[in-house]
Amino acid sequence: MTSPPVAGPAAAPRRHGGPGPARFRPRRTPPAGAVRPPRRRVLSYWRQYLAISPFFLIFGAFSFFPVFYSLYLAFQRWDGMGTMQFVGLDQFRFLWDDPVFWMSIRNTLVIWVLSTVPTLFGALVLATLLHSVRRFKGFYRIALYIPNVTSIVAVSIFFGAVFSNNFGLVNAVLGVVGISPVPWLSNPWLIKLVIALLMTWMWTGYNMIIYLAGLQAIPTQIYEAAKLDGAGPVRTFFQITMPIMRPIILFTVVISTINGLQSFSEPQVLFGSNAANPNLGGPGQAGLTTLLYFYQSAFVNNDYGYGAAIVWAFFVLIMVLVVVNWRIVQRGRKS
Amino acid sequence: MDLSRRGFLQAAALTAAASGLTVACGNGSGSAGSKNGKNLTLWYWGGALSDKVVAEAKTHFGKEVKLTVASIGGDFKSKLVTTLSAGTSVPDITGIKGEDMASFLPNANRFLDLNDLGFKEISSKYLDWKTKLARTEDGKQIGFPIDIGPTALFYRADQFDKAGLPTDPDKVAAEAGTWEDYFALGVELRKKLPGTYLINNISSVFDMAVGQGTERFIDRDNRFIGDQDHIRKAWTTAVRPYTLGLDAKINDNSWNAAIGKNLTTELGAAWHALDIEQAAPNTKGKWRVCAMPGGPANQGGSYLALPKQCRNPEEAFKIISWILSPENDARGFADAAIFPAAPAAYSMPAMTGGDPFFGGQKVIEVFGPAAKAIPASYEAPADAAVMAPYKTALTSIEAKGVKPDDAWQDAVSQAKQIARRQGVK
Repeated sequence: MTSPPVAGPAAAPRRHGGPGPARFRPRRTPPAGAVRPPRRRVLSYWRQYLAISPFFLIFGAFSFFPVFYSLYLAFQRWDGMGTMQFVGLDQFRFLWDDPVFWMSIRNTLVIWVLSTVPTLFGALVLATLLHSVRRFKGFYRIALYIPNVTSIVAVSIFFGAVFSNNFGLVNAVLGVVGISPVPWLSNPWLIKLVIALLMTWMWTGYNMIIYLAGLQAIPTQIYEAAKLDGAGPVRTFFQITMPIMRPIILFTVVISTINGLQSFSEPQVLFGSNAANPNLGGPGQAGLTTLLYFYQSAFVNNDYGYGAAIVWAFFVLIMVLVVVNWRIVQRGRKS
Repeated sequence: MDLSRRGFLQAAALTAAASGLTVACGNGSGSAGSKNGKNLTLWYWGGALSDKVVAEAKTHFGKEVKLTVASIGGDFKSKLVTTLSAGTSVPDITGIKGEDMASFLPNANRFLDLNDLGFKEISSKYLDWKTKLARTEDGKQIGFPIDIGPTALFYRADQFDKAGLPTDPDKVAAEAGTWEDYFALGVELRKKLPGTYLINNISSVFDMAVGQGTERFIDRDNRFIGDQDHIRKAWTTAVRPYTLGLDAKINDNSWNAAIGKNLTTELGAAWHALDIEQAAPNTKGKWRVCAMPGGPANQGGSYLALPKQCRNPEEAFKIISWILSPENDARGFADAAIFPAAPAAYSMPAMTGGDPFFGGQKVIEVFGPAAKAIPASYEAPADAAVMAPYKTALTSIEAKGVKPDDAWQDAVSQAKQIARRQGVK
């Protein structure tokens, strides 16, 4: 999972080189107050364009170009070094018939549901609790946010050790209580559960901070009014906090969908020491997420064309899910 | 600080220019026109070569060239592929892992033919089957063998003794001559020592059994043969210990804890001894090695290659043939447990000593003959990819209790699909 993008830029009022704060007005602009200054040639703004160019150059080289190059690759067969061979839609046909691909999609979706639901719910509850806390605010915020800034690899290794089948801490504790060891890292469902738990642990704090910011923006008068009307804390939460927070919840749902579906490092590290198949998601491939399958196809098997086809098919799926999510969260608003 | 706009723009322009310059300089190193460059870079990964020998090579050839050594971490193969296809900053000498060699062979034109540089004259010093694996069908030699991984059977002599079984390597080898004998031995061991296991997982057995044959999953005519008898036989062999209850079903890093406890034997290559030693230092002196049931196989073992962009091929070849001379190979074994691909090294004092971890046993007496007896097999570029589903299926048998026959069907159909994707007929 890559670090999540920050909230999109606030919509700033558009200016076409018109009157603005004097400091940022380009030189040679006619004094403000003219009805509409004549449009200036793009080139005369070269300094401004130069100033913002580093981002676009880097973005172009490292994001924009690779994205479309991968689309091109999806129609080729290429081992990374030799000559490319155009194969038309063959890669996608293979994809359609590939049971492992569909299994990876299933795995990804299950892990996503198992992690996103508790993450967002837990984050909301924690944010509400934290919002009403009086002491040690800073401590709680930092403590809950820290998992998110910890390296995924380190956390995965740690989880792998804690949940290890034979010598893990969890099974040791269960053993003390008299429960026989649970095959956390070999049962197909438990594998998914452990990965989901790991993701929940990492992302609850992140979403909590966002919710907390949202909660703090709600004017206290509304709560006071609700209190006067005799609403209890639960009712207040569901009838005041939730509706006002809707746009923020929508944002976190979309971001979590995008992030949750891109789980890669967690299974890769958890099962990286798997003797037989380091990059195939552990026993029974139960932890094989789509991105891990992509990585395995492209960078382990050197089948770059097929890898590209996998990610583009997956892109379509993510888009569909984001739209569905959007619809679900938006639905209540109109009624 | 109040930064004026002009000042900011000037600083930005300067930064941009400086970064452009750096990039331009970075490109320079790979594209020297002449072929007698004075600077050579060597890429390898930790443990691929003896660091001592490499350091000596630097001073030994110090007069002619400046050798810069880079130990590349992480995924070595994908870094090498990326660099080769980019075509700039390519190393002059690079390591290639044995398991990746097959996938580099179709792109042999990215490398220099070592035969042109004089490998032909010295190739007889190195094991033929290993050299062949780095040669294209039309006879182009792209890899210079560093080491090999002859496999053997590691066993706990103390446990064998407790169970009333022979402990002498020759006798154990005789008792466990075939896979079936070996598993029978395991059944007996488990009867006497309940709670112990013979093998860590069945995909490792499959790996060994496939390696014992001359054919793998794809034949020389680029046809899929992974559903034929030789693979089916290896599969049946692998499943046997599972049905007999001798399989510890360890597929994660808990092997580290198990190896010193309830695993009585371990199948592995020569370099695997170091893994056991590190994971279970308290079992020092209790282990022995003997010939593997059903004959030796090879696991791993790498090569050095010279990419086409090499700035001084003659000198580079001199350096690698010096680093990998039988004498230096033997030293590599002594300080980094790198098992030489040059049989002449096996009789050198550095290799004939007893190993205290194996109770003073002269392990070369097991690995030496094994190295020479490994069958020469054909490994297709897609071989590793096609093999993966078999191992996955074997793991599913262990983890999910899938019926072995169903798992076989699954494995074959998936392997066929991968093969087709990779252009195999």
